Amino acid sequence: MADKPLIDEELAAFLQGGVSVHVASRGPTNVPNLVRGIGCRVSADRRQVTAFVLASQCGALLAEIAMNGAIAFVGSLPSTHRTVQLKGTDARTGAPLPGDEALVARQRAALVEDLVSMGYPPGMPRALLGGDWSEAVAITFTPSAAFVQTPGPGAGAPLGGKR
Amino acid sequence: MKELTLDAIRPGLEGEIPATIATCAPDGTPNCAYLSQVEYVDPAHVALSWQFFNKTRENVLANPVACLLVVDSRAIGRYRLVIRYLRTETSGPLFERMKARLAGIASHTGMSGVFKLRGSDVYRVESIERVPGPVLPPPPERRNLLAAVRDCARKIGAVTDLQGLLDTALACIAENFSIDHAIVLLRDAGGERLYTVASRGYPDSGVGSEIPLGHGVVGVAARERTPIRIGFAQAEYAYGRAVRETALREGLALETEIPLPGLAESRSQLAVPIEAFGRLIGVLFVEAAEDLRFGYDDEDALVAVAGQLGTSIHVMQSAAEPEEEVLAPGAGAPAPAGPPLAVRHFAENDSIFLGGDYLIKGVAGSIFHALVSDYLATGRTEFSNKELRLDPRAKLPDLSDNLEARLILLSRRLDERDAGVRIEKSGRGRFRLCVSRRLELVEAGA
Repeated sequence: MADKPLIDEELAAFLQGGVSVHVASRGPTNVPNLVRGIGCRVSADRRQVTAFVLASQCGALLAEIAMNGAIAFVGSLPSTHRTVQLKGTDARTGAPLPGDEALVARQRAALVEDLVSMGYPPGMPRALLGGDWSEAVAITFTPSAAFVQTPGPGAGAPLGGKR
Repeated sequence: MKELTLDAIRPGLEGEIPATIATCAPDGTPNCAYLSQVEYVDPAHVALSWQFFNKTRENVLANPVACLLVVDSRAIGRYRLVIRYLRTETSGPLFERMKARLAGIASHTGMSGVFKLRGSDVYRVESIERVPGPVLPPPPERRNLLAAVRDCARKIGAVTDLQGLLDTALACIAENFSIDHAIVLLRDAGGERLYTVASRGYPDSGVGSEIPLGHGVVGVAARERTPIRIGFAQAEYAYGRAVRETALREGLALETEIPLPGLAESRSQLAVPIEAFGRLIGVLFVEAAEDLRFGYDDEDALVAVAGQLGTSIHVMQSAAEPEEEVLAPGAGAPAPAGPPLAVRHFAENDSIFLGGDYLIKGVAGSIFHALVSDYLATGRTEFSNKELRLDPRAKLPDLSDNLEARLILLSRRLDERDAGVRIEKSGRGRFRLCVSRRLELVEAGA
């Protein structure tokens, strides 16, 4: 089953349906770094994931990813707590593709709606997830491991082990 | 640029927007996880809740440096902190604070039964960086809390007796802090329970009701001598009926006839220990029907108020009884007539019933019993705190017990019963038994 992508269709749809995104990297002395992303794309063959982040918010994270390729990616839907973590070792930074801006805008709207349904005043998630698209950076990697991270007894289990 | 301090970004630790943490395994693999709780410890330390044996835990034990992302939800201030794991605490004040707060968070997020605090992981904050991004104008502050504390200090500093102190403190909490529901409880000299001596904002005062140490928000704050603050409705730390039922099952003799005051729809609760000179005096408790009503700053403000309250109570308690003033006798009360009011005394626990209605038990009950006995034997109505303190019939647990507080409690219960007998202050260190009905003392259950 080595040929089967780690991400199935359902998970690809979940990740691209508007989830809260975080990206972690590590520096040369294994000091971790962390930034909130603004959206993500899963490639058509589901073998690549691209996280979008705002350059000004990244600190040293982009340089670290360019240097060693190590990445942890977390997508979470606040209202259900469903959380998935993906790991990769080949992450690289690049420019977004045409169409990414619209994709991210749709995801942002869906996530704002999810947060508003939980009682957050709309202005709060809009500001939290807002930013200037002109500084968006695409971080693309091949997921080499995936984990369920929804809080509970199953947290940390590798994805694919039947729950 | 001026360096950010942890104090300045405390609202970001409230967790309305969950914090996230990145750690790194020794092989260089980063890991990212959501945190249920980040607790401010002091200007240089935070504590994170350890609930599960997960990758974050495994990583920090091997590589203690982590990266924390927190957001102040009020203004969307984003902060990135580099922190270093130091130790895990599994008991004590920090652990209990976090455990209680987590109970609220778990309940709010539908995670009751899933979230359980195993330990408080203490980290040193090594750096704080502001992360740019769209912000919101911060909401106007409800109050200037420093100004409120200052005004409260001035008012509390001006009072000279315990009743005035309690009244003033509760009025300040309502007026200066816009907190509508507050209770002051004092520690019983035995040390294992707290009794309500004053409250504000409830249909029934609940004066005389008791909470055992270590139970509920109030009891844990007292036992651990640390503020306990919960931001969401939850059941685990409810300080009402369930708390007392547990205590009763454990065999603790507790006041059960007087219900505790409390909001049915309580969502935010804060219990602050009242201390003085290293001694626990009681607990100041406030609550509200809205989520996250009390923040770190509110907690600080009430800790300051409780500090002054504690010192004042301590000083009033330990001051020598004032020189007894010579008082003009009260207007000669007409001899009460009519059918007698039976004052039933149960020696076993010094409980008192007026007619068929429960009044009080314990120390306040034995005091009342002594007063009524003297009144019926000699017609005496004037008494002094000093003689009562030395009167073995009052059964004060020890000399440090707060007699004044017991009298306030008794006086309040008599007023609430309105049965034809009450006590009133008649001068410094003196009080008067005011009887408007014929009394008959019945030794019951003897």
